[in-house]
Amino acid sequence: MDANERAARNKKINHAIKIIILVALFICFIFPFILVVINVFKTKADITSNPLALIGSHGFTMKNFPEAMQKMDFWRSFGNSAIITICSTILTILFASMTAYVIVRNKWKACGALFGLMIASMVIPFQVLMIPLVSLYGGIFGILNHRATLIFMHVGFSLSMATFMFHGAINTNVPISLEEAATIDGCNRWQTYWQIVFPLLKPTIATVAIIDAMAFWNDYLLPSLVLARKELYTIPIATQVFYGTYSTDIGLVMAALLLAMLPILILYLFLQRYIVEGVTSGAVK
Amino acid sequence: MKKKLLATMLVTAMAVSATACGGGGSDAPASSDGEGGGSSGGSGTAITIFNSKSEIQDQFVQMAEKYSAEKGVDVEVYYSNDTVAAHLATRYSANDPYTLSMVDAKDIYSLGPEHAIDLSDQEWVQNTDYAISVDGKVMGFPVCIEARGLMYNATAIEAITGEEFKPEDYATVDAFQGLLDKLVAGGMETPTGIMKEDWSLAGHFLSETYEEQPDVEAYITQLHEGTADLINNEKFNAKMDYFDTMMKYNFAAGSAIATEREVAEQKLAEGEIAFMFGGNWDWSMLSAYDYSEKMGMMAVPQNTSDGTNAKMEGGGSKYFFIDSSESTSEEQRQAAKDFLNWLVLDEEGNKFLTEDCNLVPAYSNISAEALDPLSTSVKTFADAGNLIPNYDYLPDDHYSICGASMQKYLAGQIDRAGLATEIENYWKSTAPVEH
Amino acid sequence: MNTNTASYKCKQYMMFAGVTTVVFAAVVIVPFLYGLYLTFTSWDGVSKSKPFVALANYAATFADSAYWQALGRTVIYSVIAVILVNVVAFILAFLVTSGVKGQNFFRAGFFIPNLIGGIVLGYIWKFVFNRAFVALGESLSVGALSTSWLSTTNGAMLCLIIVSVWQYAGYMMLIYVAGFMSVSADVLEAAKIDGCTNLQTIWNISVPLMVSSFVQCLFLTITRCFMVYDVNLSLTKGEPFNSSVMAAMHVYNQAFTYKNYGTGQAEALILFVVCAVVGVLQVYVGKKAEVSA
Repeated sequence: MDANERAARNKKINHAIKIIILVALFICFIFPFILVVINVFKTKADITSNPLALIGSHGFTMKNFPEAMQKMDFWRSFGNSAIITICSTILTILFASMTAYVIVRNKWKACGALFGLMIASMVIPFQVLMIPLVSLYGGIFGILNHRATLIFMHVGFSLSMATFMFHGAINTNVPISLEEAATIDGCNRWQTYWQIVFPLLKPTIATVAIIDAMAFWNDYLLPSLVLARKELYTIPIATQVFYGTYSTDIGLVMAALLLAMLPILILYLFLQRYIVEGVTSGAVK
Repeated sequence: MKKKLLATMLVTAMAVSATACGGGGSDAPASSDGEGGGSSGGSGTAITIFNSKSEIQDQFVQMAEKYSAEKGVDVEVYYSNDTVAAHLATRYSANDPYTLSMVDAKDIYSLGPEHAIDLSDQEWVQNTDYAISVDGKVMGFPVCIEARGLMYNATAIEAITGEEFKPEDYATVDAFQGLLDKLVAGGMETPTGIMKEDWSLAGHFLSETYEEQPDVEAYITQLHEGTADLINNEKFNAKMDYFDTMMKYNFAAGSAIATEREVAEQKLAEGEIAFMFGGNWDWSMLSAYDYSEKMGMMAVPQNTSDGTNAKMEGGGSKYFFIDSSESTSEEQRQAAKDFLNWLVLDEEGNKFLTEDCNLVPAYSNISAEALDPLSTSVKTFADAGNLIPNYDYLPDDHYSICGASMQKYLAGQIDRAGLATEIENYWKSTAPVEH
Repeated sequence: MNTNTASYKCKQYMMFAGVTTVVFAAVVIVPFLYGLYLTFTSWDGVSKSKPFVALANYAATFADSAYWQALGRTVIYSVIAVILVNVVAFILAFLVTSGVKGQNFFRAGFFIPNLIGGIVLGYIWKFVFNRAFVALGESLSVGALSTSWLSTTNGAMLCLIIVSVWQYAGYMMLIYVAGFMSVSADVLEAAKIDGCTNLQTIWNISVPLMVSSFVQCLFLTITRCFMVYDVNLSLTKGEPFNSSVMAAMHVYNQAFTYKNYGTGQAEALILFVVCAVVGVLQVYVGKKAEVSA
């Protein structure tokens, strides 16, 4: 009895310690955002003179939001960003998981070569590819300034990493015995993949989706090279005008930041459920 | 079930991609279809303008809307916070240059011969002393006059001294120091500020020690050949004496190289400090705060008798050039020329430059009465012929590498001899831009 | 069905990896090769002529002491940052999978830093280090806070590391979380029954089963740290006195700001090779460990 009670109490203490650590870390992680939220309701002068004050001497202001939205043409940029992010993410997941599957399950030379190249390509600094890329697609093919071109490039650049992640997941989380059973039941490789393997990859799909969606949503350099027309601007390109070399309107930057963050935050909260669900339901091992 | 999910995903992806393609396709060729509003006489030509002055981007966009509606030429204005060179490099690589690009003077020398058209026959050329010619052809259209000097807050000074502030009384470091001491005694403990940015320290301030030499070209050659003896150079020392004074009274003396520009500008604008080195473009920052009524710019004080302590350095700043490549059509080039002429010769254009953008005009026919305080000072100096010309041929890495040396000096990590050596070493391995 | 013929292999490969191969080659490989070619020219980035200069750019690279300093600095930064990121991420992952209340909420919170791009993130932190900390230091009169950390050489490096940990820990946490959750509950239960303490369970059961998570996280952090650019640019901009310029930033400046495009490209290529060797070596060792585990 006594031992049991003690164990129970220990468990509680343990739990409390964990919570305390988590809360402490949480505050550290969230601190800069609190600052953003505080300062977004202040004028530029107040932000400069006292960044920690809750309300500046010029009072509470909402004007950063409408001004930022108008200057960055928020809804148009939002639409562009959304289309590009959604398409690129879905295509990346489909192609990368398929590729990872064929690489994991077959020890062919072509697979090894592709995977090796992909891994190596992940360490190419983007600046190396930047000019050649625009010379090729703009100078020779002349297909810049299309959203589809950007989607194509996004997919091309993110395939390596996504394949890498799916590779790890298939290796560890997909038991080959299940596939063999499916084969015996008369499934071919294609069917086996979609009916057995792909569903088992849910947690990784959710992870890759959030990571890639975020990267696409926030990417500045590549879109700024591909989309040089105002009507095609994504949110990051549209907000860059807020920080010039000789003048940065920090209030607008913060408003734009909050506006740009919200959709991706919602996506994350939504996908996060799947990460959990996918793992618990798919514990087939 | 799974298949259904997959199918839905695929279909959505394709459908959305398809709309993306379609959408992108229809609005991509912004050049020749006449969708721009009111294509009356100009047959709906569309031109693109690259603006590299972020502080006037808003005004530019508004002007473009109005201009497009009135002239039937579709004008789109772009800005990039990349460096000008990097941004233009990507646009040229993509065969997608701007019709009109606003760049720095030295870029005209490097880009002009290959990418700019000859503007010698344009009407505005007669009205300016600041146009840039390469190989005898006018290629750069000066956007404005800008100058570097010492910004002051006269309201704050007069509140302490109780008498009118006359900048010309403080042309020497000795007199200047006397004033600073007076301000300190009067309660302004730290009357100066220094921008720690490398472009300010080296690009704007250090370069003045070159520009004020009796013969700049000869001096730069000496530097490059390693024969200029910086530490014994009169000009260099006179300037650095001033700099030492500024450092001594710096409000951020303890953290000189961590001070953000915004903070320093706010202090100057609101009169917490009285002096800071800068240029008239700083007004766009100062005006964001509760700025004092009487502000202005003066020459940098120096103990010298060569007259440079009555002058600021400056001249034409930011230049437009018109693209010469086959990506730009004759109509577009004509529209761009019209636009430049409109800026100089049309009252509306003049108003845009001087009133909306607060720029000091580089053209003799444009009068400007309602300029901001700093630009008013610059205009006074310019009209009186008291501007020492910019040296536009500094190598591209000068501001960064020499800026680092200046920062070390500002932080007290090296002394004046050390600074001189670092600058000498820098110049030995590099040569100015060909011109 | 014979699964060992070339035509079967080819069909299978094209079916699963065909699109990937084409897109990947078109977007990455071909531009890369073109970029490689450019390192043999003295192109300035905008001019029409690209004079062939053979190995001159590589010679210039070897003579560019600022580059090698930046590379050395990057290695130091990467080693510290990689270790810290992974330690913090692992601890976070453990805590948010240990069944505490509101763990989903915490998971979301720790991940938030990733929702913002590197450039903006740098600006926010610059604001924190330069203003908020200083304002805090002044009002509480804490000496260590009252001057900005960004103003000293070591301080700037420290700031870069802090921001990197803050930025990547949540991201890597996700991967470790997936790792933790893939360790089946039965195994853990069995370990508990055998009398393992919490720590022992983690160390002896979870960690070996999570090797693939470690390999992934290490690889990702190593490559990201080696190529750090966005945060470097917006947080320190190389200041004070160019002492926090990392390799990627030097490369960018060399190519675009100083207009030595060929040299910049050659330097980038060397950065790529260094990074690739370290990264691939790490994966190789990791995969070995995975097999043996």
